[in-house]
Amino acid sequence: TKSDVTPPSSRFLKWRMADVWRDVRSLLPAAESDFPLEFGEDVDPGLVAVMARARRRLYVAASPSRDPWARVVLDFSWEKLNAGTWRDVGAEWRRVYAYGCLFEAGGLCRGDPTPARVREAIRACDMGLLMGAPIMGDVLHRLVGVLRKKLDACRPEQAHHTEEPRVKRPKKDSDRMPVISEAKSVRRMRCPSLERFRSEFLDTREPVILEGTTDHWPAFKDHEWSIDYLRTVAGCRTVPVEVGSRYTDEDWSQTLITLNDFIDHYVLGEDGTGTGYLAQHQLFDQVPELKEDIRIPDYCCLGEGAEDDITINAWFGPVGTVSPLHQDPQQNFLAQVVGRKFVRLYSPEESKNLYPHQSELLHNTSQVDVEDPDAERFPDFLKAPYQECVLQPGDVLFIPVKHWHYIRSLDLSFSVSFWWS
Amino acid sequence: SSPQTICIGFGSGDCGGQGLSVSLPLVSEGYVASKPPLFRSLAPHLRAVSLALGTEHALLLTADGTIYTWGRGSHGQLGHGLLSPEEEPRALEALWGVPMSSVAAGGWHSACISAGGDLYVWGWNESGQLGLPSRGLKKDLTRAATGELNASKIFQSSHGVFISIQAFPALLDIPQVSEICKVSCGSRHTAAVTGTGDLYTWGWGEYGQLGQGGTCSSDQAERVDFFSSRGLHVEDVTCGQWNTFAFARPEPSCKRIYT
Repeated sequence: TKSDVTPPSSRFLKWRMADVWRDVRSLLPAAESDFPLEFGEDVDPGLVAVMARARRRLYVAASPSRDPWARVVLDFSWEKLNAGTWRDVGAEWRRVYAYGCLFEAGGLCRGDPTPARVREAIRACDMGLLMGAPIMGDVLHRLVGVLRKKLDACRPEQAHHTEEPRVKRPKKDSDRMPVISEAKSVRRMRCPSLERFRSEFLDTREPVILEGTTDHWPAFKDHEWSIDYLRTVAGCRTVPVEVGSRYTDEDWSQTLITLNDFIDHYVLGEDGTGTGYLAQHQLFDQVPELKEDIRIPDYCCLGEGAEDDITINAWFGPVGTVSPLHQDPQQNFLAQVVGRKFVRLYSPEESKNLYPHQSELLHNTSQVDVEDPDAERFPDFLKAPYQECVLQPGDVLFIPVKHWHYIRSLDLSFSVSFWWS
Repeated sequence: SSPQTICIGFGSGDCGGQGLSVSLPLVSEGYVASKPPLFRSLAPHLRAVSLALGTEHALLLTADGTIYTWGRGSHGQLGHGLLSPEEEPRALEALWGVPMSSVAAGGWHSACISAGGDLYVWGWNESGQLGLPSRGLKKDLTRAATGELNASKIFQSSHGVFISIQAFPALLDIPQVSEICKVSCGSRHTAAVTGTGDLYTWGWGEYGQLGQGGTCSSDQAERVDFFSSRGLHVEDVTCGQWNTFAFARPEPSCKRIYT
């Protein structure tokens, strides 16, 4: 017999989502008059007036239709962010963009938002975190935290037991296991003292693989990083993904998708749309929970800068991701957490034999494909001496400043790099 | 409030002899920011005909039909095949030999019309403002259609050739259009008037600037049927940042301005 009683699970869902606005609202200043909108003189007064209208929307009764103010703030400031180089863009416009994201996310949480709406709001927050500047005591971070908890509470049972790729990928040339010759192997050292590391490797600019230095990381112990764990902590978060075989290719591009989508389509399965790589992204600023799982290597204290000056990047992707041979302007500790990576290293003294690109954009990148060099175009490449290795989980590779490096993942892989000076 | 008088002068700080006294009704909280113009002489061999200004770049058309560009080039808007800036006007070599009759500059893109009525475009294409296939657009269209981000559709539609930056001029061929008479560029959209009095628009449409009745963006030039369906002959078009103004005349009599 038909019943007009709603099934218990969806009643629970409705109750949970109705709390969303209340929790979001509690993150905002109690009164509109306590919500400042103060900007430098570069920000058009007309736009500040629009922001005031968007702010008002958060404090009065919800209107049936979505008003355009948040989007205007976003669109206007987004255009400003695209003018000039990233460095030049006034911090003020990045703040404005963050406010736009706050208004947009807040607007999406009015009334009784569906889980889809809440996911959109999280995405709006992530755009603000990725491209905006911190505002209102890092309110976007707190908002993401609140919304994530709401999503978690109403999510159906996950059927994600998958660590293995669901779709059997055809074996590509790029999946070949490299053969490392003993003579060219990077040296390995188990927990050297600071002094030993400094004198034997840092000062002499010698690469070395440090073993045993990450055993205490929660990423290896209490919160062992697995696909399921990453989904739980950051699955709904929007991240930048590089699509295309390598960044020197014409079809290379960047896209913004959720970590869940990245895992589903580029890590576990394949749509035939090419490789996807979550590369060179400061994921640990965006997802503070993951930052708790790693530690800055002690050896970084031998550097000049403060801890805040250290850039920590995530490198997460399927087997076969390639970083073409290139050099970076800082010292690098590359910590391998999940899976193995093949690394080839060349000293900066060999630069002329590595045929760097002429253009300013790519002058730190070699034209040579390390594992398939064109001997006709690049004859001197084959005579350049090198070192190479296979990084295992738990290894930390020291790449001295300006040392050329080429990296290919041999498995589903997650590495963390620390750039320091 | 009663109109206030503003004194606008050039060259000197006061209104002295060079000044021009203008009565402007100021709205409350309105303001006029006046800075004296900067004077920069062009190289003597450049006989300037017209100048178009984008957000970060400039195009100059000279008497012999050559185009010079300068400014920031990060989105390919200078047309020299690079992403680097140019501090001095630099001739657009890719178009040498084809005399141009007009130039237009948008936020981060450029357009010009040849003496023969062909339209060339270059620069940023993230919203389809060049009329070339735009990847970002395909994703947004999919998103709008399904109501939320449908990841699998996005990945499938990522196939094909997409252009996000066109650093050299490209000839834009619009089906069934043989001659372009006017072109204007907004922040991220473009509008063009044909020899037969039709208006075509393409690019970013979020604020209705394409005049197609909705807020969709388009990476293909589409005719604005509003005019053709009312027997209106479009004669000129000019784009603001996020809007478009067309000048049209109903056959045969009076003129009206439509925005």
